[in-house]
Amino acid sequence: MRAPVTIAVGYDGSPDAGSAVAWAARVAVALGARLHVVHAVGLLEHAGLAGHAGVDGDVAVRIAVEAGIDPGDVEWSVVDGDPCSALLRMAESPEPATMLVVGSRGSGAHAGTLIGSTSLELAEHARVPVTIVPSSHRSD
Amino acid sequence: MTTLVVAGPAGISEHDGGPYHPEQQSRLFAVMDGVRALELEDEVAYPAIREASLDELSRVHSSAYLAELEAFCARGGGDIDPDTYARPDSWTAARRAAGAGLVALTELERRGDGIAFVPVRPPGHHATADRAMGFCLVNNVAVAAASRTAVGERVLIVDWDVHHGNGTQAIFWDDPDVLYVSTHQHPLFPGTGRPDEVGGPGAPGLTLNMPLPPGATGDVVRAAIDEVARGTIEDFRPDWVLVSCGFDAHQADPLGELELSGGDFAELARVVQEFAPGPGRLALFLEGGYNQLSLASSVEATLGALLGVQGHRPATTSGGPGLGQLRADDTARLHAIDRVHMEVGP
Repeated sequence: MRAPVTIAVGYDGSPDAGSAVAWAARVAVALGARLHVVHAVGLLEHAGLAGHAGVDGDVAVRIAVEAGIDPGDVEWSVVDGDPCSALLRMAESPEPATMLVVGSRGSGAHAGTLIGSTSLELAEHARVPVTIVPSSHRSD
Repeated sequence: MTTLVVAGPAGISEHDGGPYHPEQQSRLFAVMDGVRALELEDEVAYPAIREASLDELSRVHSSAYLAELEAFCARGGGDIDPDTYARPDSWTAARRAAGAGLVALTELERRGDGIAFVPVRPPGHHATADRAMGFCLVNNVAVAAASRTAVGERVLIVDWDVHHGNGTQAIFWDDPDVLYVSTHQHPLFPGTGRPDEVGGPGAPGLTLNMPLPPGATGDVVRAAIDEVARGTIEDFRPDWVLVSCGFDAHQADPLGELELSGGDFAELARVVQEFAPGPGRLALFLEGGYNQLSLASSVEATLGALLGVQGHRPATTSGGPGLGQLRADDTARLHAIDRVHMEVGP
């Protein structure tokens, strides 16, 4: 029996992250895979100092479901760490993700630089395929 | 009395994250208030600090990362991740912070005596070989440790910051000349530091993680270092003892949920001091600590304990959770070390 395929996608509440979740959900449906939506909690967010009210997992799951995936195939996780490290760990967990997905420009990204870009750092360090969903991509 | 070598402050007017970021310049004013409260007069030395060279930084960071960081700052900097920022002067600030640690060890060696304190920012222990994170750009304690392993010496790093020092662990993961010992709240950023993370095939057992639950008090942290880690440390026989000296395990700190007092840091310091092989071989590197009142009092208590100075010493804490977990984790750690040995083979 083949091991189940899991796609992990990062979500920080930004519009680009939402587009990435929707794209990953559609791919998961096409592959018969499960979708793991991951939000990384950093030092500031843990302390309530991040300057926003927090990231709503229900929103992320709703985006995925609206893209066509069965709600039972979506998992939402909040993990400690910076966004890049948190996603990298998803590819090393006991049931490792076989693909990582991230939006090209999260809430703090800088175009064209490795430092300051979760997507480029992820592509640099990941040992599984990474899909970077461009900011121009729309789910509809 | 033993001389206190203060290599810093560095970062007091650079790397400005603004008034709402907890890792701010004014932390160093609080830290220096703690030093001054000891009224050491002639028994404190302030060696001139310098920037670490690229060669010195490259012992622990990739050349590509250093070039990226320098260029990022030169372009004006910005947010690196939701926690971590750089400014145009952050490259210089990071090099000075790392250089201060090098100066501290050089000064201790020259004197053959003394205890060094390195009050610098940005902090360092989250920075990996090729990534900035967790407020950290350059790993200051790692740069200092690597300067000693480069000449054949063995270094113990004790990290009692409330957050696990993932960067330091990763840098020395497979290095038989560095023993990394960490107490930290778990779960908490950065998510690493499980007891079964024990080091690579070249250094099995030389990473020793003791995660603690929220609410853990000073007696638990002290037991971790004094009882659980003592045997490993004594077997390792370090030439130097460096402390990643975060004060954010304090009960008043906004970034963690451990329950230590300034008096607990003093007791921890006295335990760690016992591991130094002789005078002039102990240096404390500032990492976290974001409540400025507790930062000042904790610095005073910690350094006062090491120097034998009667200063303000808050009461120690006890009774929090975590002692049982420490013992269970010790078993898990031994099994993990066995697994590494089996993977390496005879």
